[in-house]
Amino acid sequence: MDIAELYTTAELAQIKLEDSEVESLGGEVSQMVAYFKKMMEVSVDALEPTTHAFIKKNRLRPDTFHPSTLADDILEQSPDLEDRFICIPNVL
Amino acid sequence: MTQQINWKETLADGGQKAYIAEVKKRDALVGSFLEFDPPRGKMARPQAEVQTTEELAGIPFAIKDNIALRNFKLTCGSKMLAHFVSPYSATAVEKILAAGGIPVGKTNMDEFGMGSSTDTSALGTTSNPWDLTKVAGGSSGGSAAAVAAGLVPFALGTDTGGSVRQPANFCGVYGLKPTYGAVSRYGLVAYASSLETIGVVAREIPYLEKVFNTIRDQDEKDNTTADWRDFSDPKEGEVTKIGVLTGSLGLDPGVAEAYAQVRQELLALGYEIVEMQLPMLDYAVPAYYTIATAEASANLARFNGIRYGHRPVYSENPEELVQKSRDEGFGAEVKLRILLGTYVLRSGFQDQFYLRAQKIRTALVRDFDKVFSQVDGFLLPVFPTQAFSHGDGGLDPFQQKVADKFTTTANLTGLPALAIPTGVSGGLPTGVQFMAPAFCEDRLFGLARRLKSNLTLGEPPEFPALYAGQEGRS
Amino acid sequence: MRYPTKYDSFVGLEIHVQLTTESKIFCGCRNRFGDEPNTNVCPVCMGLPGSLPSLNQEAMSKAYLVAKALHCDLADTCLFERKNYFYPDLPKNYQISQFAKPLGTNGWIDIVVDGVTKRVRIHECHLEEDAGKMIHAGDMSLVDYNRTGTPLLEIVTEPDLNLGEEAEILIHELRRIVRYLGVSDGNMDEGSMRCDANVSVNTKGAGLGRKVEVKNLNSSRFVRLSLNYEIDRQTEILEDGGTVVQETRLWNENRDQTIVMRSKENANDYRYFPEPDLPPFRTTPEFLADLETRIVELPLDRRVRLVSTLGISQTQAEVIGEEKANADYFEKVLEYGADGPTVATWMTGDVQKLLNRTGQSAAESPLTPERFAELLTLMAEGKIHGKIAKTILELVFEKNKNPRVIMAEQGLEQMNDSGELAKLVSQVLVDNPVAVEQIKAGDTKPMGFLMGQVMKASGGRAEPGMVQKMLKEHLG
Ligand SMILES: [Mg+2]
Ligand SMILES: [Zn+2]
Repeated sequence: MDIAELYTTAELAQIKLEDSEVESLGGEVSQMVAYFKKMMEVSVDALEPTTHAFIKKNRLRPDTFHPSTLADDILEQSPDLEDRFICIPNVL
Repeated sequence: MTQQINWKETLADGGQKAYIAEVKKRDALVGSFLEFDPPRGKMARPQAEVQTTEELAGIPFAIKDNIALRNFKLTCGSKMLAHFVSPYSATAVEKILAAGGIPVGKTNMDEFGMGSSTDTSALGTTSNPWDLTKVAGGSSGGSAAAVAAGLVPFALGTDTGGSVRQPANFCGVYGLKPTYGAVSRYGLVAYASSLETIGVVAREIPYLEKVFNTIRDQDEKDNTTADWRDFSDPKEGEVTKIGVLTGSLGLDPGVAEAYAQVRQELLALGYEIVEMQLPMLDYAVPAYYTIATAEASANLARFNGIRYGHRPVYSENPEELVQKSRDEGFGAEVKLRILLGTYVLRSGFQDQFYLRAQKIRTALVRDFDKVFSQVDGFLLPVFPTQAFSHGDGGLDPFQQKVADKFTTTANLTGLPALAIPTGVSGGLPTGVQFMAPAFCEDRLFGLARRLKSNLTLGEPPEFPALYAGQEGRS
Repeated sequence: MRYPTKYDSFVGLEIHVQLTTESKIFCGCRNRFGDEPNTNVCPVCMGLPGSLPSLNQEAMSKAYLVAKALHCDLADTCLFERKNYFYPDLPKNYQISQFAKPLGTNGWIDIVVDGVTKRVRIHECHLEEDAGKMIHAGDMSLVDYNRTGTPLLEIVTEPDLNLGEEAEILIHELRRIVRYLGVSDGNMDEGSMRCDANVSVNTKGAGLGRKVEVKNLNSSRFVRLSLNYEIDRQTEILEDGGTVVQETRLWNENRDQTIVMRSKENANDYRYFPEPDLPPFRTTPEFLADLETRIVELPLDRRVRLVSTLGISQTQAEVIGEEKANADYFEKVLEYGADGPTVATWMTGDVQKLLNRTGQSAAESPLTPERFAELLTLMAEGKIHGKIAKTILELVFEKNKNPRVIMAEQGLEQMNDSGELAKLVSQVLVDNPVAVEQIKAGDTKPMGFLMGQVMKASGGRAEPGMVQKMLKEHLG
């Protein structure tokens, strides 16, 4: 994978690449991508993709609400709270 | 089962102190726990209401640190979640609590389950109780090591591409990867959602079975669970014909020897052996890593430092907050897999990689449909090597990935698989695994029980059985 | 300024409709607007590690119902996918949505523009989860996740609209439809219906032009204004020989113009892939049968029917047919034998005034359809006249009693006994000699005054026609 592709990918993944990481990570990514290309040896034209195993029935939940008992515990995990709001620097 | 009585006493009022002291002493060497706090674990369910008749009443157990237990941390071995305390418990954990089990702590693991050694953990090092210079395997290395070192009779792990079976194999204990959908994933921090399942590590088969029967169930909170009752085993657990994977398997001598020995024992026990090959085996690993990293790239997107998790000291705007949080919070292996997964899903690359991998998965499913139309169980190795060394003396990250070829097949197909210990070679455990058709875990337990009587299993010399119920392996 | 002879304009809409359910789409949290921040949240809708989505059956039914009402082909298998992008109000940093297999495709909606029916094609309908909300306060942004996980139906039209006015009409019609179906309140000002649009202009006959997306249209008025602004802007560019830049623009309501949000060059790559946590949904005979029981006559069809079969005016049909409950009420009154145009006149007139005053809907008011019909029957029977009817109508609201009972209790029955009326008339003529003289001298003006005096003397109950006739007899 070339450097430009690596940076585009990193941007999509919201991963900031330090200059020091580019070489090692870039190398490993390329090695794996090359390895993935082994899959080209298989003819897959006649095959449907498998995305879910063994699920035959619809799985639906009845529409009933449950009081949110964990809301406060969840907010406690937030690094920065303002009243009950979660706080981040402003979107410019 | 009378063996349980002593485990029960470990956490009774008199035994708790001695137990805690002994675990701490042992774990100072092994490093299996990230958090160990039996008194707090006992509060997970009021002990007064536990009936002694309950299936797992009073039995201590450990939980891999990517499975939620309320009021305990849920770090996933990552700096990202080093201080995250779970406000809720996983369904599987709830079920064990409901059966009377007592969670004593959370075990170390490769960061977010990404590794085969537990060395990618950002929060601690776990060593193999058989030889502390060796890894315990991964990613459920902490759970396997805790069980092997006699600290708990069983532990929960998770298996995405072999993460229960491989460390169990390295540590000489049993490791079950159930059928996909048999056990709820609610509360299991997702790495690769369509591949992974909660599994069980145990030193004794009865615990394995009991725990599995306790945790398997359809769950309203996990729409990918299925009702096991809808999939009854037409053979009711009976196994007569066993497929054996042949061909050039590339096994280390100790592993090859054990594999051959098991084959002999099976014959000796009267099983019919059918030699088989899997045409898609060579493509399992690239397909596996394509799918796993793709799913991981989305699953790990939620870690952005906003609602929880690592947040940088200062950031100018939301984008910088998110990037710094992820840059500082994730280790190198995690970043590698997120990048890979993002790449294989990108438009222009998705058909070539992700979609192709999902089709190869279909081909592999067909391979196994064929296998199980001919045999009742399938024997294959777990990992090409025995436990390897920490650091540079071991396998490099790429070699470790390629070595997942025998384990990933069960994850790609969703089929159940059980790693069983077979003995010791060169001071380290050896083992094999069996696969069975979907929801036919009983066949695996049956096979394990039959084989056990013909094998000589040892225990780690430095960590002899702590409590009754662990000896008497022969 | 438009150049209708030289250019074509094309507008397509993406409309997001929040579905009203008890619980959110993937968790049991309450689906409710306006609560304290971050109270209706749980591990699932906050994207906590380890949580998984669990699909709400009612959200699925309501989404399919709208697709059906929009004449879509209903997918026998639909699939959720992950749409990947980072945004602070999106907890998982992917949105569970539908992409390759949406639940409805290839439908249409009819709208009426200047009395002419226009058919707008629906490209697709898909179900997804809503994100949270951010409030920007100085150098901080405050995030509230109560809204995350609200079931959201996205409706995408083909670019079959040509003007802002048409888009506004479509939005109003869609609002009626979702309210008729009882799946959403469709309020744009509360964000329960939101709209994005794409606009392109091209030389006449040359097909679609280069597409500009317009976002942030949070009222139907803004939809109209912004689209017309955008059509004019693009037309001018073309007229000047320029090229329209493909970009996303925002409607700025303070400046009444669209402004650039971001250019499309660093386009997002959403990396859609099937949501592994949710198996595909397959319609079953029971599911489809349930939809049949829930589908209703659509608002436009109903307005047409009210006009064509019941003889009421277009304007009345629009008022009465705006809300399903009102139209149902109207037709209920007719079931008691009342006459369509009369009911419509009363309903859109005096009844509506009273309802406005009491802040009630017709259905929940003391004026049951039966009472409404009874009131009109009393009039038809000649027991009361129009003015008394209005009095009784007010008393029905006040006392919550039947019109006939009120009439009897209050002695409001029309006075049409000619002997009694003759006495009243004679008395009034005696009491007002001046007026009588004037009339006899040829000035008919005081006639009204005398009429009023008789009515007053009768307590308003005198049958006005008879009174008028008697006065004329005496004075003519
Ligand atoms: Mg959308
Ligand atoms: Zn929720």
